[in-house]
Amino acid sequence: MTRSNTVAAALGVIGVVFLIVAALYALGVLQIATSTTSGPHYKHAILFVVLAVASFVAANFARPKTA
Amino acid sequence: MNLWQALFMGLLQGASELFPVSSLGHAVLLPSLLRWSFRQSDPSFVPFLVLLHLGTATALLVLYRAQWVAIIGGFFTAAVRGRMTTDSERLAMLLLAGTIPAAVLGVFLESRIKSLFASPYEAAGFLILNGFLMLGFEFLRRRRERGASREEQESHFALAEGISFRAAALVGACQALAFLPGISRSGITIGGGLLAGLRHQEAARFSFLLATPVILGAGLVEVPELFKQGVPVAEYLAAAVLAGIAAYASARFLLRYFRSGRLDPYGAYCIAAGLVSMALLHFNP
Repeated sequence: MTRSNTVAAALGVIGVVFLIVAALYALGVLQIATSTTSGPHYKHAILFVVLAVASFVAANFARPKTA
Repeated sequence: MNLWQALFMGLLQGASELFPVSSLGHAVLLPSLLRWSFRQSDPSFVPFLVLLHLGTATALLVLYRAQWVAIIGGFFTAAVRGRMTTDSERLAMLLLAGTIPAAVLGVFLESRIKSLFASPYEAAGFLILNGFLMLGFEFLRRRRERGASREEQESHFALAEGISFRAAALVGACQALAFLPGISRSGITIGGGLLAGLRHQEAARFSFLLATPVILGAGLVEVPELFKQGVPVAEYLAAAVLAGIAAYASARFLLRYFRSGRLDPYGAYCIAAGLVSMALLHFNP
Protein backbone atom coordinates (compact mmCIF):
# COMPACT_ATOMS: atom_id res chain seq x y z
CA MET A 1 0.00 0.00 0.00
CA THR A 2 1.24 3.49 -0.89
CA ARG A 3 2.19 5.34 2.27
CA SER A 4 1.82 9.11 2.03
CA ASN A 5 0.17 11.87 3.97
CA THR A 6 -1.82 12.91 0.88
CA VAL A 7 -3.37 9.45 0.47
CA ALA A 8 -4.08 9.30 4.20
CA ALA A 9 -5.75 12.72 4.15
CA ALA A 10 -7.83 11.79 1.09
CA LEU A 11 -9.03 8.60 2.75
CA GLY A 12 -9.85 10.58 5.90
CA VAL A 13 -11.95 13.03 3.88
CA ILE A 14 -13.75 10.13 2.17
CA GLY A 15 -14.47 8.71 5.63
CA VAL A 16 -16.01 12.01 6.75
CA VAL A 17 -18.14 12.12 3.57
CA PHE A 18 -19.35 8.56 4.29
CA LEU A 19 -20.31 9.63 7.84
CA ILE A 20 -22.31 12.57 6.47
CA VAL A 21 -24.07 10.29 3.96
CA ALA A 22 -24.83 7.84 6.79
CA ALA A 23 -26.39 10.66 8.85
CA LEU A 24 -28.48 11.80 5.87
CA TYR A 25 -29.80 8.26 5.31
CA ALA A 26 -30.54 7.86 9.05
CA LEU A 27 -32.46 11.15 9.11
CA GLY A 28 -34.42 10.23 5.97
CA VAL A 29 -33.03 13.19 4.00
CA LEU A 30 -31.29 10.98 1.43
CA GLN A 31 -33.51 8.63 -0.61
CA ILE A 32 -31.09 7.51 -3.33
CA ALA A 33 -31.16 3.79 -4.22
CA THR A 34 -33.72 2.89 -1.55
CA SER A 35 -36.74 0.62 -1.78
CA THR A 36 -39.11 3.20 -0.28
CA THR A 37 -39.18 6.91 -1.05
CA SER A 38 -39.75 8.25 2.46
CA GLY A 39 -38.49 7.76 6.01
CA PRO A 40 -35.10 6.86 7.45
CA HIS A 41 -33.01 4.08 5.92
CA TYR A 42 -31.04 2.55 8.77
CA LYS A 43 -29.63 -0.30 6.67
CA HIS A 44 -28.02 2.19 4.30
CA ALA A 45 -26.87 4.33 7.24
CA ILE A 46 -25.15 1.37 8.94
CA LEU A 47 -23.45 0.47 5.65
CA PHE A 48 -22.01 3.98 5.29
CA VAL A 49 -20.83 3.98 8.93
CA VAL A 50 -18.98 0.72 8.17
CA LEU A 51 -17.51 2.29 5.01
CA ALA A 52 -16.44 5.33 7.04
CA VAL A 53 -14.70 3.11 9.61
CA ALA A 54 -12.96 1.21 6.80
CA SER A 55 -11.83 4.51 5.27
CA PHE A 56 -10.39 5.74 8.58
CA VAL A 57 -8.59 2.41 9.07
CA ALA A 58 -7.20 2.61 5.53
CA ALA A 59 -6.14 6.24 6.21
CA ASN A 60 -4.23 5.09 9.29
CA PHE A 61 -2.55 2.35 7.24
CA ALA A 62 -1.61 4.87 4.54
CA ARG A 63 -0.02 7.29 7.01
CA PRO A 64 3.81 7.18 6.86
CA LYS A 65 5.16 5.55 10.02
CA THR A 66 8.23 6.66 11.90
CA ALA A 67 10.63 3.77 12.54
CA MET B 1 -46.92 -21.26 8.14
CA ASN B 2 -47.58 -23.80 10.85
CA LEU B 3 -45.09 -25.00 13.49
CA TRP B 4 -44.00 -28.09 11.55
CA GLN B 5 -43.45 -26.13 8.38
CA ALA B 6 -41.44 -23.54 10.35
CA LEU B 7 -39.30 -26.27 11.91
CA PHE B 8 -38.76 -27.93 8.53
CA MET B 9 -37.71 -24.62 6.97
CA GLY B 10 -35.38 -23.95 9.93
CA LEU B 11 -33.74 -27.33 9.53
CA LEU B 12 -33.47 -26.85 5.77
CA GLN B 13 -32.01 -23.36 6.06
CA GLY B 14 -29.50 -24.31 8.76
CA ALA B 15 -28.39 -27.48 7.01
CA SER B 16 -28.13 -26.04 3.52
CA GLU B 17 -26.77 -22.53 4.28
CA LEU B 18 -23.18 -23.76 4.61
CA PHE B 19 -23.30 -26.61 2.08
CA PRO B 20 -22.44 -25.45 -1.46
CA VAL B 21 -25.97 -26.20 -2.65
CA SER B 22 -27.83 -22.86 -2.08
CA SER B 23 -30.16 -22.64 0.91
CA LEU B 24 -32.19 -19.93 -0.82
CA GLY B 25 -32.68 -22.09 -3.90
CA HIS B 26 -33.91 -24.99 -1.76
CA ALA B 27 -36.12 -22.66 0.30
CA VAL B 28 -37.76 -21.39 -2.90
CA LEU B 29 -38.04 -24.79 -4.58
CA LEU B 30 -39.16 -27.13 -1.78
CA PRO B 31 -42.25 -25.20 -0.59
CA SER B 32 -43.37 -25.02 -4.22
CA LEU B 33 -42.80 -28.73 -4.80
CA LEU B 34 -44.57 -29.54 -1.51
CA ARG B 35 -47.37 -27.14 -2.50
CA TRP B 36 -47.02 -24.96 0.58
CA SER B 37 -48.67 -21.62 0.13
CA PHE B 38 -46.05 -19.22 1.54
CA ARG B 39 -43.34 -17.59 -0.59
CA GLN B 40 -39.88 -16.31 0.30
CA SER B 41 -40.64 -13.02 -1.45
CA ASP B 42 -43.62 -12.37 0.85
CA PRO B 43 -42.88 -9.44 3.28
CA SER B 44 -44.34 -11.49 6.18
CA PHE B 45 -41.54 -14.00 5.63
CA VAL B 46 -38.82 -11.45 6.55
CA PRO B 47 -38.98 -11.86 10.37
CA PHE B 48 -38.71 -15.62 9.93
CA LEU B 49 -35.61 -15.29 7.76
CA VAL B 50 -34.12 -12.82 10.27
CA LEU B 51 -34.25 -15.38 13.07
CA LEU B 52 -32.99 -18.22 10.88
CA HIS B 53 -30.02 -16.08 9.84
CA LEU B 54 -29.30 -15.17 13.45
CA GLY B 55 -29.45 -18.88 14.36
CA THR B 56 -26.95 -19.76 11.62
CA ALA B 57 -24.65 -16.84 12.47
CA THR B 58 -24.70 -17.83 16.16
CA ALA B 59 -23.67 -21.38 15.21
CA LEU B 60 -20.71 -20.02 13.20
CA LEU B 61 -19.71 -17.69 16.04
CA VAL B 62 -19.78 -20.62 18.49
CA LEU B 63 -17.79 -22.83 16.11
CA TYR B 64 -15.07 -20.21 15.60
CA ARG B 65 -15.38 -18.45 18.97
CA ALA B 66 -11.65 -18.50 19.74
CA GLN B 67 -10.77 -17.30 16.25
CA TRP B 68 -13.34 -14.51 16.38
CA VAL B 69 -11.93 -13.24 19.67
CA ALA B 70 -8.48 -13.16 18.03
CA ILE B 71 -9.87 -11.59 14.83
CA ILE B 72 -11.77 -8.82 16.65
CA GLY B 73 -8.76 -8.11 18.88
CA GLY B 74 -6.52 -8.18 15.81
CA PHE B 75 -8.78 -5.75 13.97
CA PHE B 76 -8.63 -3.11 16.70
CA THR B 77 -4.89 -3.58 17.25
CA ALA B 78 -4.09 -3.27 13.53
CA ALA B 79 -6.56 -0.42 12.99
CA VAL B 80 -5.06 1.67 15.80
CA ARG B 81 -1.44 0.81 14.96
CA GLY B 82 -1.91 1.15 11.21
CA ARG B 83 0.14 -1.96 10.61
CA MET B 84 -0.46 -5.75 10.50
CA THR B 85 2.02 -7.89 12.36
CA THR B 86 0.16 -11.12 13.20
CA ASP B 87 -1.95 -13.65 11.26
CA SER B 88 -5.07 -12.65 13.21
CA GLU B 89 -4.59 -8.99 12.31
CA ARG B 90 -4.15 -9.86 8.62
CA LEU B 91 -7.16 -12.19 8.68
CA ALA B 92 -9.28 -9.44 10.28
CA MET B 93 -8.36 -7.02 7.49
CA LEU B 94 -8.91 -9.69 4.80
CA LEU B 95 -12.40 -10.34 6.19
CA LEU B 96 -13.10 -6.59 6.18
CA ALA B 97 -11.92 -6.40 2.55
CA GLY B 98 -14.15 -9.35 1.66
CA THR B 99 -17.19 -8.18 3.60
CA ILE B 100 -17.41 -4.60 2.29
CA PRO B 101 -18.18 -5.46 -1.38
CA ALA B 102 -20.78 -8.00 -0.27
CA ALA B 103 -22.37 -5.49 2.12
CA VAL B 104 -22.50 -2.70 -0.49
CA LEU B 105 -24.02 -4.98 -3.14
CA GLY B 106 -26.35 -6.52 -0.54
CA VAL B 107 -27.80 -3.22 0.67
CA PHE B 108 -28.31 -1.78 -2.80
CA LEU B 109 -29.23 -4.84 -4.85
CA GLU B 110 -30.42 -7.75 -2.70
CA SER B 111 -34.16 -7.02 -2.47
CA ARG B 112 -34.36 -6.09 -6.17
CA ILE B 113 -32.55 -9.23 -7.33
CA LYS B 114 -34.55 -11.49 -5.02
CA SER B 115 -37.87 -10.05 -6.17
CA LEU B 116 -36.82 -10.36 -9.83
CA PHE B 117 -35.79 -14.01 -9.59
CA ALA B 118 -38.14 -15.47 -6.97
CA SER B 119 -39.90 -18.11 -9.07
CA PRO B 120 -39.21 -21.85 -8.57
CA TYR B 121 -38.32 -22.26 -12.28
CA GLU B 122 -35.60 -19.64 -12.00
CA ALA B 123 -34.35 -21.20 -8.75
CA ALA B 124 -34.09 -24.58 -10.48
CA GLY B 125 -32.23 -22.98 -13.39
CA PHE B 126 -29.77 -21.22 -11.12
CA LEU B 127 -29.29 -24.44 -9.12
CA ILE B 128 -28.16 -26.15 -12.35
CA LEU B 129 -25.85 -23.19 -13.05
CA ASN B 130 -24.49 -23.50 -9.48
CA GLY B 131 -23.69 -27.14 -10.17
CA PHE B 132 -21.70 -26.26 -13.28
CA LEU B 133 -19.89 -23.52 -11.33
CA MET B 134 -18.81 -26.07 -8.66
CA LEU B 135 -17.56 -28.45 -11.36
CA GLY B 136 -15.85 -25.51 -13.10
CA PHE B 137 -14.02 -24.46 -9.92
CA GLU B 138 -12.69 -28.00 -9.48
CA PHE B 139 -11.72 -28.21 -13.16
CA LEU B 140 -9.74 -24.95 -12.96
CA ARG B 141 -8.06 -26.00 -9.70
CA ARG B 142 -7.04 -29.37 -11.16
CA ARG B 143 -5.75 -27.78 -14.37
CA ARG B 144 -3.60 -25.35 -12.39
CA GLU B 145 -2.19 -28.11 -10.19
CA ARG B 146 -1.58 -30.57 -13.03
CA GLY B 147 1.72 -29.05 -14.12
CA ALA B 148 2.99 -28.35 -10.61
CA SER B 149 5.23 -30.67 -8.61
CA ARG B 150 4.17 -31.92 -5.19
CA GLU B 151 6.52 -29.41 -3.54
CA GLU B 152 5.07 -26.55 -5.58
CA GLN B 153 1.55 -27.64 -4.66
CA GLU B 154 2.51 -27.81 -0.98
CA SER B 155 4.12 -24.39 -1.15
CA HIS B 156 0.82 -22.80 -2.17
CA PHE B 157 -0.92 -20.87 0.56
CA ALA B 158 -1.60 -23.22 3.43
CA LEU B 159 -3.69 -20.72 5.39
CA ALA B 160 -6.45 -18.29 4.49
CA GLU B 161 -4.32 -15.55 6.07
CA GLY B 162 -1.96 -15.87 3.08
CA ILE B 163 -4.30 -14.79 0.27
CA SER B 164 -4.07 -11.34 -1.26
CA PHE B 165 -6.44 -8.48 -0.42
CA ARG B 166 -7.54 -8.33 -4.05
CA ALA B 167 -8.50 -12.02 -3.92
CA ALA B 168 -10.36 -11.51 -0.62
CA ALA B 169 -12.31 -8.56 -2.06
CA LEU B 170 -13.15 -10.53 -5.23
CA VAL B 171 -14.30 -13.59 -3.28
CA GLY B 172 -16.36 -11.27 -1.05
CA ALA B 173 -17.96 -9.52 -4.03
CA CYS B 174 -18.86 -12.89 -5.55
CA GLN B 175 -21.08 -13.48 -2.51
CA ALA B 176 -23.53 -11.09 -4.17
CA LEU B 177 -24.23 -13.81 -6.76
CA ALA B 178 -25.86 -15.76 -3.93
CA PHE B 179 -28.77 -13.28 -3.97
CA LEU B 180 -29.87 -15.33 -6.98
CA PRO B 181 -31.87 -18.26 -5.57
CA GLY B 182 -29.97 -21.39 -6.56
CA ILE B 183 -26.46 -19.89 -6.42
CA SER B 184 -24.67 -20.91 -3.23
CA ARG B 185 -22.80 -18.33 -1.16
CA SER B 186 -20.52 -20.92 0.41
CA GLY B 187 -20.00 -22.65 -2.96
CA ILE B 188 -18.94 -19.40 -4.61
CA THR B 189 -16.61 -18.41 -1.76
CA ILE B 190 -15.08 -21.90 -1.39
CA GLY B 191 -14.56 -21.99 -5.18
CA GLY B 192 -13.06 -18.48 -5.09
CA GLY B 193 -10.75 -19.57 -2.27
CA LEU B 194 -9.61 -22.56 -4.34
CA LEU B 195 -8.82 -20.28 -7.29
CA ALA B 196 -6.92 -17.99 -4.90
CA GLY B 197 -4.69 -20.95 -4.06
CA LEU B 198 -6.25 -22.28 -0.87
CA ARG B 199 -6.79 -25.95 -0.08
CA HIS B 200 -10.37 -27.13 0.30
CA GLN B 201 -10.42 -27.12 4.10
CA GLU B 202 -8.85 -23.65 4.32
CA ALA B 203 -11.17 -22.36 1.58
CA ALA B 204 -14.13 -23.67 3.62
CA ARG B 205 -12.80 -22.01 6.80
CA PHE B 206 -12.35 -18.68 4.98
CA SER B 207 -15.83 -19.06 3.47
CA PHE B 208 -17.46 -19.65 6.87
CA LEU B 209 -15.55 -16.78 8.51
CA LEU B 210 -16.50 -14.50 5.60
CA ALA B 211 -20.15 -15.56 5.80
CA THR B 212 -20.49 -14.80 9.52
CA PRO B 213 -20.55 -10.96 9.42
CA VAL B 214 -22.71 -10.98 6.28
CA ILE B 215 -25.30 -13.41 7.71
CA LEU B 216 -25.20 -11.75 11.14
CA GLY B 217 -25.49 -8.28 9.62
CA ALA B 218 -28.35 -9.30 7.33
CA GLY B 219 -30.16 -10.65 10.39
CA LEU B 220 -29.45 -7.79 12.80
CA VAL B 221 -30.54 -4.96 10.48
CA GLU B 222 -33.96 -6.59 10.14
CA VAL B 223 -34.48 -7.23 13.89
CA PRO B 224 -37.16 -4.46 14.14
CA GLU B 225 -39.32 -6.62 11.83
CA LEU B 226 -39.66 -9.10 14.72
CA PHE B 227 -41.57 -6.61 16.83
CA LYS B 228 -44.33 -6.06 14.29
CA GLN B 229 -47.77 -7.28 15.28
CA GLY B 230 -48.79 -10.82 14.42
CA VAL B 231 -45.30 -12.29 14.27
CA PRO B 232 -45.33 -15.75 15.95
CA VAL B 233 -41.98 -15.21 17.64
CA ALA B 234 -42.07 -18.46 19.69
CA GLU B 235 -42.51 -20.67 16.60
CA TYR B 236 -39.90 -18.73 14.69
CA LEU B 237 -37.47 -18.95 17.64
CA ALA B 238 -37.85 -22.73 17.75
CA ALA B 239 -37.06 -22.87 14.03
CA ALA B 240 -34.04 -20.59 14.55
CA VAL B 241 -32.64 -22.85 17.28
CA LEU B 242 -33.05 -25.82 14.95
CA ALA B 243 -31.36 -23.84 12.14
CA GLY B 244 -28.45 -23.04 14.47
CA ILE B 245 -27.99 -26.67 15.51
CA ALA B 246 -28.18 -27.84 11.88
CA ALA B 247 -25.71 -25.15 10.78
CA TYR B 248 -23.26 -26.09 13.52
CA ALA B 249 -23.47 -29.79 12.60
CA SER B 250 -23.13 -29.10 8.87
CA ALA B 251 -20.12 -26.80 9.40
CA ARG B 252 -18.38 -29.48 11.49
CA PHE B 253 -19.18 -32.09 8.84
CA LEU B 254 -17.96 -29.91 5.97
CA LEU B 255 -14.67 -29.01 7.65
CA ARG B 256 -14.01 -32.72 8.13
CA TYR B 257 -15.26 -33.58 4.62
CA PHE B 258 -13.02 -31.00 2.93
CA ARG B 259 -9.86 -32.55 4.41
CA SER B 260 -10.00 -34.83 1.38
CA GLY B 261 -13.39 -34.17 -0.24
CA ARG B 262 -14.06 -32.03 -3.31
CA LEU B 263 -16.83 -29.80 -4.67
CA ASP B 264 -17.70 -32.17 -7.55
CA PRO B 265 -20.34 -34.26 -5.70
CA TYR B 266 -22.20 -31.09 -4.74
CA GLY B 267 -21.96 -29.86 -8.33
CA ALA B 268 -23.47 -33.11 -9.58
CA TYR B 269 -26.18 -32.96 -6.89
CA CYS B 270 -27.13 -29.38 -7.84
CA ILE B 271 -27.43 -30.25 -11.54
CA ALA B 272 -29.52 -33.34 -10.76
CA ALA B 273 -31.72 -31.54 -8.20
CA GLY B 274 -32.26 -28.62 -10.59
CA LEU B 275 -33.23 -30.90 -13.47
CA VAL B 276 -35.56 -33.03 -11.32
CA SER B 277 -37.18 -29.88 -9.88
CA MET B 278 -37.71 -28.44 -13.35
CA ALA B 279 -39.30 -31.69 -14.51
CA LEU B 280 -41.58 -31.84 -11.44
CA LEU B 281 -42.60 -28.21 -11.84
CA HIS B 282 -43.26 -28.71 -15.56
CA PHE B 283 -45.20 -31.99 -15.44
CA ASN B 284 -46.94 -31.34 -12.12
CA PRO B 285 -47.72 -27.58 -12.24
